[in-house]
Amino acid sequence: MLVSVKELKKYVDLNDLTSEEIANGLTFAGIEVEEVSKLASGTNLVIGHILECEKHPDSDHLHVLKVDLGDKVEQIVCGAPNARKGLKVIVARVGAKLPGGEIKASSIRGVESNGMCCSLLELGVDSKYLSEKQTSGIEELPESAPIGEKDVLGYLGLDDEVLNLKILANRPDLLSLYNVAKEVGAIFNRKVNIPTFKVDDNFKTDLVVGSKTDKCLQFAGREINDIVIKDSPKFMKEALRAMGIRSINNIVDIGNYVMLLTGQPLHMYDKDKLDKHELIAKDDLSVNFVALDEKTYEVIPGDIVITCNNKAMCLGGVMGSKECAVDDKTKNIYIESAFFDGASIRHTSSRLGLSSESSSRFVKGTNRYQALDVINFASYLIKEYCEGKKFSNIVNYLDKPEVVREIKCSTKRINNRLGTEFSKEEMMSVLNKLHFDVKDSSSDEFLVKVPSFRLDVFNEADISEEIIRLLGFDHVKSVLPTLDVRVGGLTTQQYRLRQIRESLRGIGLDECLTYSLLSKENSKKFNLLNDEEHYELLNPLTDEREVFRTHILYALLESASYNFNRQNKDLALFETSNMVSLSSRSEHLAIVLCGNYLKRELMEKEPYDFYHMKGIVEDIFTLLGIEQSRYRFERYSSDKDELHPGKSAKIIFQNECVGVFGELHPVALKSLGLKGNVIVLEMNLDPLLNSKVTISKMSPISKFPSVNRDLAFIINKDVAASDIIKLVKKNGNSLVKDVKIFDVYEGENIFKGFKSVAISISLSKEGTLTDKEINDTLDKIKFELGKVYNAQLRM
Amino acid sequence: MENKNINEIYSLAMNEIQQSEDTNKLQELKIKFLAKKSVLSSLMSELANLPPEERKEFGKNLNDVRNRISEELAKKEAELRKNELDKKLKSETIDITLPSRKVELGGQNPFYVVKDEITDIFLNMGFEVADGPEVETDLFNFELLNIPKDHPARDMQDTFYISDNVLLRTHTSPVQAHVMQEANGKPIRIICPGKTYRRDDDDATHSHQFAQIEGLVIDKNINIGHLKATLELFAKKMFGEKREIRLRPSYFPFTEPSVEVDITCANCGGKGCSMCKGTGYIEILGGGMVHPNVLKMNGYDPDEYSGFAFGIGIERVAILRFGIDDIRRFYQNDVRFLHQYRRKA
Repeated sequence: MLVSVKELKKYVDLNDLTSEEIANGLTFAGIEVEEVSKLASGTNLVIGHILECEKHPDSDHLHVLKVDLGDKVEQIVCGAPNARKGLKVIVARVGAKLPGGEIKASSIRGVESNGMCCSLLELGVDSKYLSEKQTSGIEELPESAPIGEKDVLGYLGLDDEVLNLKILANRPDLLSLYNVAKEVGAIFNRKVNIPTFKVDDNFKTDLVVGSKTDKCLQFAGREINDIVIKDSPKFMKEALRAMGIRSINNIVDIGNYVMLLTGQPLHMYDKDKLDKHELIAKDDLSVNFVALDEKTYEVIPGDIVITCNNKAMCLGGVMGSKECAVDDKTKNIYIESAFFDGASIRHTSSRLGLSSESSSRFVKGTNRYQALDVINFASYLIKEYCEGKKFSNIVNYLDKPEVVREIKCSTKRINNRLGTEFSKEEMMSVLNKLHFDVKDSSSDEFLVKVPSFRLDVFNEADISEEIIRLLGFDHVKSVLPTLDVRVGGLTTQQYRLRQIRESLRGIGLDECLTYSLLSKENSKKFNLLNDEEHYELLNPLTDEREVFRTHILYALLESASYNFNRQNKDLALFETSNMVSLSSRSEHLAIVLCGNYLKRELMEKEPYDFYHMKGIVEDIFTLLGIEQSRYRFERYSSDKDELHPGKSAKIIFQNECVGVFGELHPVALKSLGLKGNVIVLEMNLDPLLNSKVTISKMSPISKFPSVNRDLAFIINKDVAASDIIKLVKKNGNSLVKDVKIFDVYEGENIFKGFKSVAISISLSKEGTLTDKEINDTLDKIKFELGKVYNAQLRM
Repeated sequence: MENKNINEIYSLAMNEIQQSEDTNKLQELKIKFLAKKSVLSSLMSELANLPPEERKEFGKNLNDVRNRISEELAKKEAELRKNELDKKLKSETIDITLPSRKVELGGQNPFYVVKDEITDIFLNMGFEVADGPEVETDLFNFELLNIPKDHPARDMQDTFYISDNVLLRTHTSPVQAHVMQEANGKPIRIICPGKTYRRDDDDATHSHQFAQIEGLVIDKNINIGHLKATLELFAKKMFGEKREIRLRPSYFPFTEPSVEVDITCANCGGKGCSMCKGTGYIEILGGGMVHPNVLKMNGYDPDEYSGFAFGIGIERVAILRFGIDDIRRFYQNDVRFLHQYRRKA
């Protein structure tokens, strides 16, 4: 809402305050002023008279002017095509400060110039209020303009400032300058003078008004005859310009002016273009409607239309029809002030893509009980500025009479809510200033009647807000709440998740954040845990973001590509996020490892591989106290070319697959624009976060030293390391405490299909091991390896 | 005569020991002066030939010299060994300015730095962390928060819909309703960090996805003063002890009265600068007293219970705190950005 400070000052005495002070007062009463701007600006301006206009000797478009400024005649070089002898113009003297800079004495192509003739554009007036002629040359002042007048902005009515108010949804009443004036009056404790007008009727109309829909609960009309369409008065043009509306003609401008002041949109019908003397609101028409803008709109049942003889004459609250529009020749009009249901206007206006100052007021809410005053105000202006002489009685359809909202308030309860110690008198005084009707009822209580323009006040909490926003939050005593002592803190699950995140960062992974919305196509990619049941948006902004993801990995791979394209090729990224699918919610973890594991800048590097990721997974289990025996890895297979079939695995925990990881398939690598080794993981952390973990008791540490023996053998390539370890432990006569693989080799000197494996066996018992015990055990192991896997010992 | 001989041997030995340059030479000297066939040993064998009265004196001198040579040899040996070790160590000197060998601490999107820190501040005040679904119903996202169908406030939040009644939550406030309904009329003290979505085109200052931390306290006799004090504490912990807060009246459908909370500008300390547009204050969050309708709809008697609620934009706090130029940075995960946030706050 743009508010003209000049117009505002007509109704409240604010002459001792600057616009900034007024804006500040409003902001701290909860009505944020987003900007205070000047309509136009410029110092050292004067009205001049061009005495001579010669062509510049050295230019084909410049003129050399002699301009009478009242106190002296200056020579000015001017480039405007409309500069001519005899014209009255705005002159910025040397030293004048304009929005574009300061005017200096200068020499233009060898001719001295002392000042500048200005266009309104150069004074900072928005071009939307100016004609093409005004924007292409200097401003042409009327003959009557007084030469030497220094208050040029005042003479032009441009000496106004504009407050840009941010109107929140609870205060639609402030889309009225009158109500802003009341608010400002209450804030600064000033008297507010809102004039009321009454134009008596001098004939009885046969106009019939009514409503066949509960979306129009009030409809008032008046017939006014013998009006003359012409230019609007200067004050009205200036007020409209300051408040963001372009002047059209007197009758259109009066409609807008009344709306800006009262908040009530009006509509005018050319009476002589109507078939019948009736205006009935309906909401059951299906027609094509040709509006004022000459476009055709499809009206469907539900839209409010004002009909005459069952023909749509106006899309209620949104736009009138071409058919009965007021034009230059209009003589007799019907004027409408109605109340339309905001929700309905909102639907119509958004469906048709049509919104206006008027429709937006209905959408936010209007006061239906001021229709008669509003019509009288408009009538007064029509009488004054449209030469209107014949005014009918006002016909009004009103569904329900006004019921005044009454609220019983308690000083104590309000103070308790606010944390303040206001007296009852202070509270009552504030409410009075805000035009609430307040009545004292007991030592603690008082009764408040809400004025009809306040659509947002229903209960004591609302009243408490009125009090605090005017008296100020500085009165609130800041006290920490004294609450029962109890254990806050994270739940086990939340704590475990935090630990996982912190430990992943500790081993060098970067924690990322990605978008939840994906394209349909991408949502299917790298969905390794196969959660297909995703939510889809009805109204996506783009098809890039229309599906609510059920996995993180794709988005994280996009981040990897983003970095890869910026020459950051050694990456270790992870993200944890809550995933929502049609059937469940679960906490996921995704990891992308790419390029080298940075051991020492560029000097030593080791490429990431499958086993790095495997180690990370094992670490997560260890961190949560889940022993190795409770989970296992299985080979992963899929018909999608996403993971390398030989270098990928499933994580099995509590007999369900909780995660999949592995090296990217070359096909996938190419499609992502990545190169080299990329290892990925997607894991559902929920089973881990929720798993029961028992406290592990300390296991005794043997006093006797253990003995280590190494074995190397050649074995079939397909025998898994885990099977070798299992066999060694099983046949270790309970002396084998640990088996570690320390070398695996395939290639030269080893037959194809075989590999060389070296293991280190750790033996111990509660007592000293004898050589015999050691040798017997190793012999048994060697024998079994040979028997079961055909392993051949290497010497 | 013999004594004179002993002294000569002693001087010779001392001299040769002093001039030795390595431990091998010392070995030779040991043999030369102290071994069985050494000069001292041969003198010892002459001992028997001496008259008994001289024998004692001579024997003592001989032993003395022998001991002193032996000591000197040991001393010299220690000295030489030390020198040799020093020399060896010196030759092993490395360039300590070469890069270290380590697992570099992972970077962290500043989003999480702020999210975790805010969470911890409230955990320390005895709050719990609640959780709610990002896919919500119209009932929880709007209706139970005093935003009925066609309420103009719905225009404040452009919504992604999944169906007529299912949507992506536009704020973390629906968690208020969930928590109240689950708490069954008992006092509440929670925060809820979470992702939220609005139908906004992405640019430097807008994002279709962003995150908030919701706070809710419900108990008997809660007032705005409690909200003010809680947020004051938060602002000081988050932005520094010198920061002050200021409440400004505002409007949210689910609180009454509603406030915007401003904090003194960290850049100018409240004097006014370009960062705070000359006002000295920067808006950081919104809050208010829980609207009686919201209490009622979610199972609390507004005559008995009252509460306050607030919502903090996580990215907004991170942007202010770290001077981040573009909200999209949070979602690009450029590692050059992430690596700037390795330290723990």
